[in-house]
Order: sequence, then C-alpha cells, then structure tokens
Amino acid sequence: MTATISDTGSVTNTKSTEGNRLRVAGKLWQAGGPLVIFIAMFAVVAILTPAFIGSGGITIVAASAAPILLVALGQAFVLNIGSIDLSNAAITVLGAILLAMLLGPLAIAAPIVVLVLVTLFGAVNGFLLAYTQVPSFALTLGTLGIFKAASLVVSGATTVYVSQNKEVVSPLYTTQLAGLPLTFVLGVVVAAIAYLFLRFTRAGMGMTAIGKNESGAIFSAVRTRALKITAFALSGFMAGLAGMTIIAQAGSASAMGLGSDLLLPAIAAAIVGGTSISGGVTNPLNVILGALTIALVPIATAAIGVAAEAQNLVYGVVIIVVVALTLTRSRTAIVK
Amino acid sequence: MTKAKEATTPVLRLTDVKKSFGSVHALKGISLEIHRGEVIGLIGENGAGKSTLLKILTGIYQPDKGTIAVNGSTVKFRNPRDSAASGIGVVHQEQSLFTNLTVAENIAMNGAASKGYGTTLGFYRWGKLNKAAASTLEIIGSKLNPKTRVGDLSFVDRQMVEIARAISVDTSKNATPLVILDEPTSLLERGETAILEREIRKLKDFGSVIFVSHRLDEIIRNCDRILVMRHGELVADRVTTSVTEDELFKLMVGHESHATAHERRARPANEVPAIEVTGLTRKGKFKNVSLSVHSGRVTAIVGTSGSGREEFSRAIFGAEKFDGGTIVLNGQPARGWRIPKAVKRGMGFVPAERKVEGMVGGFSAAENIVLTHPGDAAIGPILLPWKRNKIAQRWFSTLDVRPNDISQNLERFSGGNQQKVVMAKWLNDPELRVLVLDHPLRGLDPGAAETVNEQIKEACKKGTAVILLADTLEEALEMGDDVVVMRDGVISATYDLSVDNPSTLDLLERMV
Repeated sequence: MTATISDTGSVTNTKSTEGNRLRVAGKLWQAGGPLVIFIAMFAVVAILTPAFIGSGGITIVAASAAPILLVALGQAFVLNIGSIDLSNAAITVLGAILLAMLLGPLAIAAPIVVLVLVTLFGAVNGFLLAYTQVPSFALTLGTLGIFKAASLVVSGATTVYVSQNKEVVSPLYTTQLAGLPLTFVLGVVVAAIAYLFLRFTRAGMGMTAIGKNESGAIFSAVRTRALKITAFALSGFMAGLAGMTIIAQAGSASAMGLGSDLLLPAIAAAIVGGTSISGGVTNPLNVILGALTIALVPIATAAIGVAAEAQNLVYGVVIIVVVALTLTRSRTAIVK
Repeated sequence: MTKAKEATTPVLRLTDVKKSFGSVHALKGISLEIHRGEVIGLIGENGAGKSTLLKILTGIYQPDKGTIAVNGSTVKFRNPRDSAASGIGVVHQEQSLFTNLTVAENIAMNGAASKGYGTTLGFYRWGKLNKAAASTLEIIGSKLNPKTRVGDLSFVDRQMVEIARAISVDTSKNATPLVILDEPTSLLERGETAILEREIRKLKDFGSVIFVSHRLDEIIRNCDRILVMRHGELVADRVTTSVTEDELFKLMVGHESHATAHERRARPANEVPAIEVTGLTRKGKFKNVSLSVHSGRVTAIVGTSGSGREEFSRAIFGAEKFDGGTIVLNGQPARGWRIPKAVKRGMGFVPAERKVEGMVGGFSAAENIVLTHPGDAAIGPILLPWKRNKIAQRWFSTLDVRPNDISQNLERFSGGNQQKVVMAKWLNDPELRVLVLDHPLRGLDPGAAETVNEQIKEACKKGTAVILLADTLEEALEMGDDVVVMRDGVISATYDLSVDNPSTLDLLERMV
C-alpha cells in the first residue's frame, strides 16, 4: 500500500503504518467478516445441538431469518445514507395487521395495497427527515410510537386472523426451494436487487455519497432529499414484505405478537452484516449472512442455557461488540 | 562572555534528523541552524517533508535518528508539552483555538500546563489569568480584551490569539522563543495578511520565527533566509536577498515553471453572456450585485471576508438562497434555483472547503470524478464501472495526479492532488458553461497550483465562463479578464483588464 505523506492530512500521517493495517483489516472485515461470524455461529450451534442440523433445522432458521433479513435490508438502506430507522419494525407489524384485515375483502389486491401503504409510511419518514431536518433518531422514535399506536387502534388490541383468501400469501411459507421457504428466498432476491442497485446505479451511488459526506454530495449535485425519501420508502417497503412473511407463516397478526420484536435483531443483522452505523458502507449480500447469524442466536442461547427472556440482551451485546470492533477509530476520536 | 556566546549559539540546531514511516522516508537527514532574531522561510511541495519536520520540532513525532539542540543543549521532545517547555510555540495552519473559551483561557492552554500559572488546585484564578494574557498580548502589540470569547473574534484576531499563545511558551530556559507559523496566511484575506506580516516583524525583536507558506512572494517579503525542502531533503539554504521567485519554484518543484500566460479575450459586443446576474440581493450579505461573464472569459471577484463575495458565488450556484434579482444562463432565466438545476444547466462549483464540500471522502478518486457527470460511464441511471475507470485514468494522466491510483480513497491524497480531482469532476462535463471557483488554490503547493491554473485556462479555451474568487490580488490580476471589487456586499469597482490596468493598490483601496 502506498503511504501518502500529505501536508494537510495530518491525521493520515500520524500513524501511517498503523493506519494502513487498520485499513487493510477494515477492508477484510467488510469482505469476509460476516461470513466468518456466521460460520463461527453455525459451528457453535452444530456442536452444541448436532440433532438440529439434520432435523430440518436449516429450514426453521431460514424461516425465522426471513423477516429479520427483510427489515435489516431496509435498515441497511437507511444506515447507508447516515440515518437510522427505528420505526421500520413497527411498520412490519402494522403492515401485517392491515394485510390480515384486508386479505378477506381484497384477496389478491390486498398485498399490493398494503405494500403501497407501508412504502408511503416510510416515505413520510423520509419526507419529514429531508424537509424538517429533525435527526432521524428522534424522528423515527416519534413515528415508532405513532405506528405502534396505529397498530393497537387498527387491530382493536386483539389478534387479527385472516378470515379468508389465506392461500394468497401462505404458499410463501409453505413452498420450499431446496429446503428453504420462499419467504427466505424472497429476502435473498431482494438483497441481490439491493446490491445491484447500490453498486450499479447513480441513485445507489448517490445514497452512499450522502452517507459518506452529505455536504460533499450536495455540492456534487446529488439529489439528497429525493434519495433520502427513497431510502426511507424502501425501508418501509421491505418492512411491509416482512409483514407479509409473518402473515404467510402465522395467518394472524397482533400489535404484540409475531414480528413485534424485530427492531433490535434487524439492526443487529444489518451491523453484523458489515453495515456501518455512521453511514456510507453496506453490502446487502452480507446482510443475508448477518440475518442468518442473528436467527441462530436464539438456538445457540437456548443450547447454552440462556433463558429465552434474555435474548434481547444477546442482541444488545452483539450490536455493541460488533460496532466496537469495526468502528474506524483511526479517523477521529470524537464520538457523537 | 555570555553575550558573545548567545550570539553564536543557535536557538535551534538540528543534526542529521531522520524519520521514516514504514518504507517512506519522510526525512532523509536534515541538518539546520536557526539564530536569534532570524525569520526563516520553509518551503516545499506537499509531501516534501515540511510537516513531518514541524511535527518533530513540536514533539508530535520523535525522530528515528539525529539530534535536536535548543540553545546549545541537546533535547528530546517526547510530546508537545516538552517542546513548549523548550520555548517552541506553533501557530497551526488550521486554527486550533477553543472558540467557546475566552482569549485568556486559550492563551493559558499553552503555558498553564507547564507553568501552573493562573490556576490553584485546578481552579482558575481569573485575575492572574487575565493579567498574564494581557501582558502577552501587549508584547505582540494587540489590544484584544482577554475576557472576550474567541468565537466572537474575527479570523485575523484569532490568529493574534494563536500567536500570543505560541509566544507564551516557557521562556525561563530559553530567552528567545521560537515561533513556528504553519501557513498562517492561507486563510487570510489581503488586508489581514498585512497585519500578520507586521506581526512577524515584531516577533523578530524578541524571538526567532519559522514561517511556512506556499506563497513565494510572501516568503521573500518576510524572511531573512529560505530553506527549501524536496523529497525529504534540504535542497537549498538561501539568503533572501540573493534569490528570485522563479529560482525558488525551480528548487521546490525540480523543474522550471510551465505556466503560460492567460490569453485575454476582449468582451464581445454582440454575444449572449454565458451568465448574466442582475441585481442579486441577499439581506445582510450582498446587495444589488450585477455582472455578466461571456464564454471563455474569467471574471475575478476580489474583496475582504466581509465583502459578501463568498455568499454571492454560492448563491449563483444555488447553494444558498437569495432574496431578489435574476440569474440568466445563456439567455435562459434561472428559476427555482438549486444545485441540481444549476448543474444541469452547465454550472460547476469548486468550493473553498475542499474536504467538507468539494469531495466525498471515502469514495475513490474515480468515483468522485464521475459522481456528478458520469458521461460514458453511465447509460441512463445505470453505472458502468469499467468505463468509469477509463475516464478517471484519462484525467489522472492529464492532471498528473499522484499517486497514480484511481481506486485509492480520495481522502488519502494530498491536498493538491485532491483539488486536481475536484477540478476533473467538473471538467468531465463536456457542456460546462460556467465554472465558479472559490479559492481554488487555497493550501496548494506551487506545482499543484500551476496545474489547476492551467486547467482553468484550458476550460476557458473550450468556452467555459469562469467566476474566480482568488486567494490573492496578484492571482486575480493574472487570471482575470475582468476584475470586480466587492465591499460590504456591493460592487465598489469593475475593471476590464483589456482596457484598464489597475494595480493591487488600486484594488485594495476599493476593498477597504
């Protein structure tokens, strides 16, 4: 690696050899880190519960990884523009409830209507962010509350069952492709599209530019507002897809039921998948590995003997540890 | 006896100082002496090793080899505090003051640690602190109130505080402080530079000065002796009276200047201007500013920092709002003016704050070049990375960007090479009609500055109209076809250089 000694880049100079090592380590992590973590996690599970691997365990993990993956991919888009979406898991639940209610009357049109609605919910987040400049953390914390309340009100605080036309979405869960439920395959397809979008379109490049340096992006004529709204809308859309997988799997939804606890695992999945929380770095393909790793956490913790109630503790610890390990400390000592 | 000894013992002597970073030899054995009352100019291209040398003098780096002697006794600086205790103070290129603290507190930040004055058990003794600050300020002839918050001061006043802080080093061991000024003028406007230069002459009376600058005229004006660095070595040590700017340029860069004179283009009579601004106004910033620039011509705008020229230049690019007036590009009025629209209509803007606004750090140089105008590297919304690399490689060759690695993170290039890439980003637009340049040469070494200037001239030849906010009046007069002077938000004078021949003094008179 060439070390540039620049008059202005004093920070670059200070520890150029150490800096190089950090940079190389960072690049390696971005490329292979998520795979290494996944393999390690898988090995732990395989050693502790050998029976799990043989008896359709993979199918179970893939099924539980599917909603995590979809929400995490949306989160990755938002993290990539340097923001965070705390409300997307709540959109998943609201979307699932709406779908459960609408499948009866609207049949095949219900998923489309719901996906349009959740995309709009996300776009509203993005619109408020772009035009009010309320920090995304505070903004989506607020809309998180609103979406949660909406879920309770719409569902009447009870579990909503799909009355009829369940078969419109249920094959997503019941059909398998090479032992993987379609819900997970859907997640992988979305991840692949997301990857191509971010790497090979001007819009995707613009989003990453915003995450790396918003002022620089603005002065390079990147349409920052439109792209922020798009990123949040995609987050809403993917959260809606996650809601669809929940209905496919359970046939019912409630404000407190399946999917209501997706926020932390999805953020953890995005981060374990190599997405930077400070923006400008993500690889949707690695987020697949992140989601699978996170889906293995309950199985691993159960095997070790940690109570199911303590699983969020594990997600919390995972987030802190992974961020601590991957933060580029060479750049600055200032922490916001 | 002591007197005689003082006269011969250098304030600072370096003997064969070496420093490497991995395989890069930043300093290949530097030996030099600085005597009391001397103002030493230190020049060299980016990457020549100047900042490494300064960092060794200020205790940030430790040399791999060689010795440093202050007043004849060998010293080892383990950290900046050691260096300050030996009487070496530094005024940094980018200001390093605490803007939310007072002048006195800032000055004490240097001395307090080593001397403990002004505090008891960690509590400030405000009376003593302010008095000490006032006496330090008096030495440099500044009448600033020590109780003022630094954030409320003008840029040049802050520079005074920096100097006061630099000379408030512990002088008990060393009767003469050595003050290092690291490109102190690169962010100053003309009038402010004059104040600073007066200050440098005052510093000579009680100390020595190392003055680092990219502006050769400034170096010649202020220094007694000039040290030239190239590739980590001291290639020349000249007495100022025996050198010229051209000679210094050649010593620094290693070859003669290739600069060509800007071919002036007279203002065409019957041609629609590339940009015509009429009565542009923004409350409190600029008022009723009108100017027009024709294709292939350069209009240089000069003015002090309060003149409103920065805000004006940003407003015409759509980066800041304006309250009234019109902008017409190639005969078409600009409506709902924001950056993406301006760019679509063929405008480009090189901001003064390169790292913050000019580029996207973390992206490779190639990605930065095609971010705005992908040209062949995109079909509609789809990007073609292999074509991107071809385009970037072409610009790297044209602009001699070093190191020649288009996939390297742009953050890791030196300032001059970054600026070349920022220029390429706009020049990659074949339809570039109007290019606004806000201090394009700020912080660049003469070699890189020459390349950037050549590209500006090249763009003009291809028909781009240029609005230039120059660093210096000389630059404005050299590059401009027209020179517009702004003062307090209004145009105070306009010169057509194909007819008029104003001196820098004429311009200065209209500026202040």
